[in-house]
Amino acid sequence: ELTLLGVTQYYAYVQEKQKVHCLNTLFRKLQINQSIIFCNSTQRVELLAKKITELGYSCYYIHSKMAQNHRNRVFHDFRQGNCRNLVCSDLLTRGIDIQAVNVVINFDFPRNAETYLHRIGRSGRFGHLGIAINLITYEDRHTLRRIENELRTHIEPIPKAVDPKLYVADFQLVED
Amino acid sequence: GSVVQPPRDEVVDNVSFLFNNLSLSNLTAKRDEMRRMIREEGEPFLKWLSQYIVMKRVSIEQNFQPLYNQFVGQIDNVLLDRFIKEETFRNIRILLRSDKRQAASNYNERQLLKNLGMWLGSITIAKNRPIIVQDLDLKSLLLEAYYKGQQELLYVIPFIAKILLSCAKTNLFSPSCAWIRALLKLLAELHNEPDLKINLKFEIEVLCKELSVDLATLPVEGVLKDTEKLVRVPQQLSDLKAL
Repeated sequence: ELTLLGVTQYYAYVQEKQKVHCLNTLFRKLQINQSIIFCNSTQRVELLAKKITELGYSCYYIHSKMAQNHRNRVFHDFRQGNCRNLVCSDLLTRGIDIQAVNVVINFDFPRNAETYLHRIGRSGRFGHLGIAINLITYEDRHTLRRIENELRTHIEPIPKAVDPKLYVADFQLVED
Repeated sequence: GSVVQPPRDEVVDNVSFLFNNLSLSNLTAKRDEMRRMIREEGEPFLKWLSQYIVMKRVSIEQNFQPLYNQFVGQIDNVLLDRFIKEETFRNIRILLRSDKRQAASNYNERQLLKNLGMWLGSITIAKNRPIIVQDLDLKSLLLEAYYKGQQELLYVIPFIAKILLSCAKTNLFSPSCAWIRALLKLLAELHNEPDLKINLKFEIEVLCKELSVDLATLPVEGVLKDTEKLVRVPQQLSDLKAL
């Protein structure tokens, strides 16, 4: 059973060609333990992973055209913390159960609610805190509202500064 | 004082990007980048950076502590090491002095303290450096927590157990060294207390197992029964009267 409880969901309106720039901004403004970045096709997974690796990201990628044992290996290494970010297509069927993943990014917005839930949802009754950020193009705008309605959830426009309490585990300001 | 002047927004964002993407495979490249930033921004930046590393990264992202420790080691800057150590003790002292009456429900604070304990062990004991009494008096802290009650023990026992886990990584401060052995004996005596919470007993058992110490062989010397001594321990936790 997947739940969206504990996940704060945001969207940002972008043009296709601004997506990487937007991703860069997110990675400079957020405090990320580990992240998962979803694309809609295996080709876009590989292109994005290559692009952001060049830009200094720590990332692995997996997609549905890779052999299962290879995928398992990469996912295992990611879970171990050998790299910080994972770019992937839709192949996780159980929801994310990696405690360290506090940020999930839909680089491409999914086409239906079920896929959205599989990407963003957490398994178990008490999901760990996290944020989900959807990059939305002009073409995605109706899908966004439809999925929001179908899942009876709220996806808010991303604020200038995201409150760390929403996604940084045990966050607490320690003051003298 | 805790208020450190942050660098320009652009530098803050660069640091955040760097730490968001730090991993074993790019450690050297990121180290060079960080050294460049340190050269350009100077000492005020080092102060801010150590606060950032301790408060935003190691105290929260416990899973990446070994990575951050290795990173700081590679930067190899004496001043940075010193500031990080000072910042670690500063945050620990603040957490120890906080109001403990809600300990059972204040999971976050206890988790932060445990994470800082694990970190403190890894930058001191694991590197063959002692924790000196002037910085943090571990034995007195245990006695004081016992004297003050259950809530305080909920904070202090897991904290000290996490620090001592690093004894498995050093020959100098092994369980047979006098300093560590005194602490283990005291933990064994606490373990003997019939009304000590079961999860705290587990913490002590897990520690002993990690250090290959047989809990049953540690002598119980009745230190906790010495009430004269208990009331005279230096106070590192919040003062009951002040609350």
